Amino acid sequence: MRWVDVKEGLKGFLEEFKREKTGIAGVILLIILVLVALTAPYTTIPDLPEKWRNSQYWEDNPKNVPPTWYNMFTSNKLVPQEVYLLDDLKITHPSDTVTIVEADYTLPKKYVLGPQGIIIKGLNVTLNEPFQAPTMDVYLLRPDGKRVPILTNKQLSSGTTISIGRDSKISANVYIWLVNVTEGKKITMFEVPLETILINDMVAPMFAKVEPGMNVSEIIENPQTLPGNYRLVLQINNPAPKDNQVTYDNIKVTFLGRSYGNMGTDYLGRDLWAGIIWGSRVSLTIGILVSVLSTIIGLVYGVTSAYLGGNADEVMMRINEIFASIPSLPILILIGATAGHITLWFIVLLLVIFGWMGIARISRSMALQIKEQTYIEAAKALGAGNGRIIFKHILPQLLPYAFAVIALSVPGAVIAEASLSFLGIGDPTAVTWGQILNAAQAQSATTKGYWWWVLPPGLGIAVVGLTFVLIGTALDKILNPRLRRL
Amino acid sequence: MGYLKYLAFRILNAILVLLIVTFIISALFVKVAEQSNRAKMYEELMQWERTEGSKIKQSQGLEAFERAKAEKQASLEKKYELNIPYWQKVYRKAVRTLRLDFGTTGMPIFGTNKVSDIIKVALPRSVILFTTATIIVIILGIFLGVRAARHAGSVFDRGLSIFALLTYSLPMWWTGMMFLLIFAFKLGWFPLSSMFDPQLTGWAHIKDVLWKLALPVITYVFVAFGGWAWTTRNIMIGTLQEDFIMAARAKGVPERKIIYGHALRAAAPPIVTMIIFSLLGSLGGAIISELVFNYPGMGRLYWVALQQNETNLLIGLTYFFTVLYLAGVVLADMIYGFLDPRVKVGASAKM
Repeated sequence: MRWVDVKEGLKGFLEEFKREKTGIAGVILLIILVLVALTAPYTTIPDLPEKWRNSQYWEDNPKNVPPTWYNMFTSNKLVPQEVYLLDDLKITHPSDTVTIVEADYTLPKKYVLGPQGIIIKGLNVTLNEPFQAPTMDVYLLRPDGKRVPILTNKQLSSGTTISIGRDSKISANVYIWLVNVTEGKKITMFEVPLETILINDMVAPMFAKVEPGMNVSEIIENPQTLPGNYRLVLQINNPAPKDNQVTYDNIKVTFLGRSYGNMGTDYLGRDLWAGIIWGSRVSLTIGILVSVLSTIIGLVYGVTSAYLGGNADEVMMRINEIFASIPSLPILILIGATAGHITLWFIVLLLVIFGWMGIARISRSMALQIKEQTYIEAAKALGAGNGRIIFKHILPQLLPYAFAVIALSVPGAVIAEASLSFLGIGDPTAVTWGQILNAAQAQSATTKGYWWWVLPPGLGIAVVGLTFVLIGTALDKILNPRLRRL
Repeated sequence: MGYLKYLAFRILNAILVLLIVTFIISALFVKVAEQSNRAKMYEELMQWERTEGSKIKQSQGLEAFERAKAEKQASLEKKYELNIPYWQKVYRKAVRTLRLDFGTTGMPIFGTNKVSDIIKVALPRSVILFTTATIIVIILGIFLGVRAARHAGSVFDRGLSIFALLTYSLPMWWTGMMFLLIFAFKLGWFPLSSMFDPQLTGWAHIKDVLWKLALPVITYVFVAFGGWAWTTRNIMIGTLQEDFIMAARAKGVPERKIIYGHALRAAAPPIVTMIIFSLLGSLGGAIISELVFNYPGMGRLYWVALQQNETNLLIGLTYFFTVLYLAGVVLADMIYGFLDPRVKVGASAKM
């Protein structure tokens, strides 16, 4: 083939491709996907794969909550995440030894349950006089004028994290307060029923109607949300301000949402939106790499087999049949499970090894026809070597077909990678859709109704698949009119 | 080449491939088993040292203990086949597998230790699930495909094509998860787990099975029928353009007869091949789908075997899948050769 022919052919091909609506749709989808994958570090969290498995990194996020936009479709709205940094808080110093930090929180009408929890962290304490360590009282002022004591005399040190909703002592305090308001009596720590405060959501009652005469277990089971303005107050007593210093520069008060971000969170509080965006990188890379490599190997193998003919052909086809008859998914699982350290490259290799056979068969049958043509014989007569005839004369004829095959086999490769990851056999350092679904399955997200955890990764797989199917069928229609019959 | 000769050639070929594949599978699994067997042996040896070994050490001294320990280790090595070279082990395993002697599992599954009995329990379950679903898919696919081919370019045809393209890129297990979410969790129409209730018998058992099969079958049909219909449509469109159809039309044969009598028969060979392979493929069970639905068939069994490191069961199942595939290849060749005489003559005879 000469360069001019290639240029002409390409031009004609582009002209025809423009007329295929599905192909254009596929190309647009592909461009969007590539852009999403490339810009992932800038549009979401940088270096996500390193943070993904570090549960501490996600501490400040609510767990198992739906996306914020879901509120548009429900009457019972769920509060979003709210973070207060130094500038959002009111800090006053009534005396030398007392500092008061206040966070104003509004719970609008129609919202249910209030936040999932409150996390206070980032207080820096320099301790030189341990016997007079600073302490903190935390309480919540409610719109009905009631005051919920959350913590009293909590000793402070650097790294103290107060997490309302996850700390059983705080939950016990809330329970004591509930009993005090409803029944008017004071109970001690030891009278608090442990299983109640460990199992139930003890944050919602803080943001619910609590009146004298109401039943405590009724409030816990079925809290009636009380909208209005709340104020979280931290009162820090520092008896020795000269020796022990408390600085507030890094303070961070987080009101955990009952909904979060674009895609909600999973059981560790991980931002699923970031995970899904990053997952597209692995999916696209593996899909394209596996299909390109296995198509090339299959083509060369098939054409060589057809061209050589005779015994070599027989042997090569037997090898092909052996690979084809090994049940691939079980063997992949087995190799993956026993190989220990699995990288993405290893998965690509495995998928290529078990993915070239079909293409080899078809390209062999196509090459058998081309082989009989006269110009091949002419080339042979002129003394062209086997390699030259295969690579120069037969393979270029199959190239258009190869492009369609590459596009059409991407969905299979993407699904195969997702399946392996879903089974827990994936690169542990990567974030993939299959792994997100694996975690969802392990935490039985489907039987708990966490749709935001299951739906998006699969849709991602489907969109990548659809993109390449659209391109592939369009290519197929243009380049191989004969093959349209399958 | 005559038909019988052709058939004998294909069967011999399949047997040769089966032998080689069995050998490869054995080589792979023996390697896996070796590691776990070594660990098991050391565990047993440690156990022995703590109980009997310490007794010998106390009563007969250190020397006697060392001797007894070496003896015990040798006997354990023999028990776990660690004393013979790797390739010999592979050979033995392959021969035993070919004789269908799969051995036993470490832990009982479905109340038995014998691998062949375990497979006998799981196989019918996968058969009823996937074969039922496959049959529905085939009927629906062929019917809709033929309809689309008759009205090529119509709204129905386009809609079907789009649906087929969409479902082609869906992982079946993910669709299963979504269906579980929608139909089992939200609407509560179907059970969340497809594990059978072992206490039920008779009519109640059948009702339980049907109830638990429903959602997996619906999922399978939903994902698969579009692709089937689309492929059938493409084959039929090609056939409908052939000369003999024109001739039949010119003769005035009724359209219905042309479609189902002439065209579908001519398009039969590739469709029959597809039917064989999807029926056989259905027997293997889809590992992940059964896992998602918690359905106790072959696929889930494979997963359990892998989790519990039951090498013998894994070999048995893998061997079974391979035999099924090769049987399918031979069967397809047989029917293909029968329906389309061109296959056995000329250059393609050796394909």
